[in-house]
Amino acid sequence: MRLTRRTCIAAGAALALTAGLAACSDGGSTDDGGPVTLTMWHGLTGPDGPAFQEVVDNFNDSQDEVTIEAEALPWDSLYQQFLTAATSDDGPDLVAMSASRLPQYAERGVLAPTDDFYADDTYMDTSVLAEGAVQASVFDGVNYGVPLNLGPVLMYWNKALFEEAGLDPEAPPTTWEEFEEMIPDLTVDEDGDGTPEQYPIAMGDHSTVPVFPSFLWNGGGGVVSDDGTTSLLGDPATVETAEHWVNLVREEQITPVGMSGADSDQLFQAELAAITINGPWMTAGLTEAGLDFDVTVPMAGPEGQSILGDVVSMTISQRLTDAEKDAAFQFFAYWESVESQATWANGSGFPAIRTDMPGDAVTNEWAAVFGAPEVLDNVRPYLTGVPGSGEINEDIFTPALQSALNGTGEVADLFPAAGEQIQAILDDGS
Amino acid sequence: MRIGRTVAGRQARAAWMFLAPGLALLTLFTAWPLLRTAYLSFTEYSLLTPPEWVGLANYRELIADDQVMNALQNTVIYAVVVTPVTIALALALAMALNAKFFGRGIVRTAVFVPFVVSLAVVSIAFRFLLDPNYGLVTHWLDGVGLAPTQGALAQPGTAMAAVMAVGVWKNVGFYMVMFLAGLQSIPRDLYEAAQLDGASRLQKLSTVTMPLLSNQTMLVSILAAIASFQVFDQIKVMTNGGPAMSTETLVVMVNRVGINNLEFGYGSAVSVLLLLLILLLSMAQYFYFGRKQVRY
Repeated sequence: MRLTRRTCIAAGAALALTAGLAACSDGGSTDDGGPVTLTMWHGLTGPDGPAFQEVVDNFNDSQDEVTIEAEALPWDSLYQQFLTAATSDDGPDLVAMSASRLPQYAERGVLAPTDDFYADDTYMDTSVLAEGAVQASVFDGVNYGVPLNLGPVLMYWNKALFEEAGLDPEAPPTTWEEFEEMIPDLTVDEDGDGTPEQYPIAMGDHSTVPVFPSFLWNGGGGVVSDDGTTSLLGDPATVETAEHWVNLVREEQITPVGMSGADSDQLFQAELAAITINGPWMTAGLTEAGLDFDVTVPMAGPEGQSILGDVVSMTISQRLTDAEKDAAFQFFAYWESVESQATWANGSGFPAIRTDMPGDAVTNEWAAVFGAPEVLDNVRPYLTGVPGSGEINEDIFTPALQSALNGTGEVADLFPAAGEQIQAILDDGS
Repeated sequence: MRIGRTVAGRQARAAWMFLAPGLALLTLFTAWPLLRTAYLSFTEYSLLTPPEWVGLANYRELIADDQVMNALQNTVIYAVVVTPVTIALALALAMALNAKFFGRGIVRTAVFVPFVVSLAVVSIAFRFLLDPNYGLVTHWLDGVGLAPTQGALAQPGTAMAAVMAVGVWKNVGFYMVMFLAGLQSIPRDLYEAAQLDGASRLQKLSTVTMPLLSNQTMLVSILAAIASFQVFDQIKVMTNGGPAMSTETLVVMVNRVGINNLEFGYGSAVSVLLLLLILLLSMAQYFYFGRKQVRY
């Protein structure tokens, strides 16, 4: 084809138009003060998803400068897809992730610090946020996130099963001793085959919220020290506490062995266990199932009553420009506002992250229970700020615990040996 | 000569052109990932940052790693049990279903169907069947006093047996069809000749059927062994390698260290170990069956 002047102009115009369209399709992010569009991935695919989206929609409607395009993915898929997305320019601008996962990405330079958000009152007064939730995203002295939610892990009890057992349905155990006294009443072995049909408690030992480590805390031990430098699995207090609970499982059969978190939830929901320990995400399903249940702080151990806190943080990609980072911080401040936190708490049952919520703002009864001051004051995140936290929990602690629960080894041998492996990871990470 | 070379050249060119699409796909999806994995096994690579050359460090770590030894042991146990059991069962089913009887087609389909069902679906279904509280299989086992108290998948002693049983059930239909094709290609007159010579059923099996099935047996053995060494999805879904890593095979471990721990370099080294194992096994099988091959 012969190239004429007209053809060249048309081709040039088409090229310019294509380039313009391509620029528009790139989220419309600009560095010149124009509107900014940020993509965000999160894993709130349950009943909490609509509450989060409502706040995002409210934010987008409240102004014209910043648009958040939020996409919900199951957590597993999110982490897997983010692996490849993080290395390309097509990845999300903002990602919500469990605070315990955050160091894995932060130490490899994938995430940008959010210290500027907390530096002064430019965006908000961050001192009103629950301290435990804010500190959960600190890695190596730098904060890489802003809390999206805080899920205290509390004790659920089935009031109907307590009543059937002849116990006061309004008096759940407040200490380990009280719980142990209730074991015979809450265990039902109708056919006498030695395997209960109803268990006192439902506890998963893998793919679950780390309930067992919180028992270790309250017995004076733990998996890793709070500063993330020392393994505690070999400590006498840890070994003694672990032996105590492993014996209760093996000898008293307080819970089936080998359950995942989902199996444990199912057991409690099927009214085959009287107690379980879980986060606020479980209330919606249990209410829908018509269970007669209530929630309170977990029973205290001899050395304390720390409450496990599951924190999800909003993080930002390291490739964001200053304008985009500013836009992200505007959204974070909006998310943490009283109005948004009320929308979130009332819609999801999660507690508000702010500690200064007006008394009448939170009308959801579960959000009020999970957000009670005595709960938030005792919340303790697990393995946050620790590089290799996934490997420590999934590859070392969980197999050691499972071996002990299955009777293929003894706590006194398994835990110190696992502790040495954890220490090697901690030393390597430092 | 000149004409001959030209013709040969044209034929070769045509052959290469016909082969090119297949070779391109093979290079893209097999050769390149293989070479890339071999390269990455000498690096520290998290996917999030560029690979960093570490020489033989990953292999030195691998040799001393108890988790690798555990996964290798589990892989070998799985392969050593599942491969012969699957082959023997597939052969027995093929011989049984080669005979004419009413409803043969339905039985053949029933045996083959598990192979075409997604392994993830099969695994989830078996998790329910083996559930200690609601499982149908647990209920049946309970009836004869064999039900594990904690559920088959929750105990290290029974979890591997459960995933192996599912592995056999899932794949036996596919290998049965391969044996069935082989059986149907054996000329009837050989059996008639053997009959005339007064051969018993066992003698017909050992002197006619098995020698003439040697090609199928070799193929099925290699495929079944490779499939056993590469077992992944059913374990990932049913036990995720647990409890206490008692069902973690090499491929499940590769997935764990790569995807969960972002140690793609180390995961690649474990993959290379698995590749070498399968290569050695396949060569041994090839030479063994090559010597036993019979033609009449």
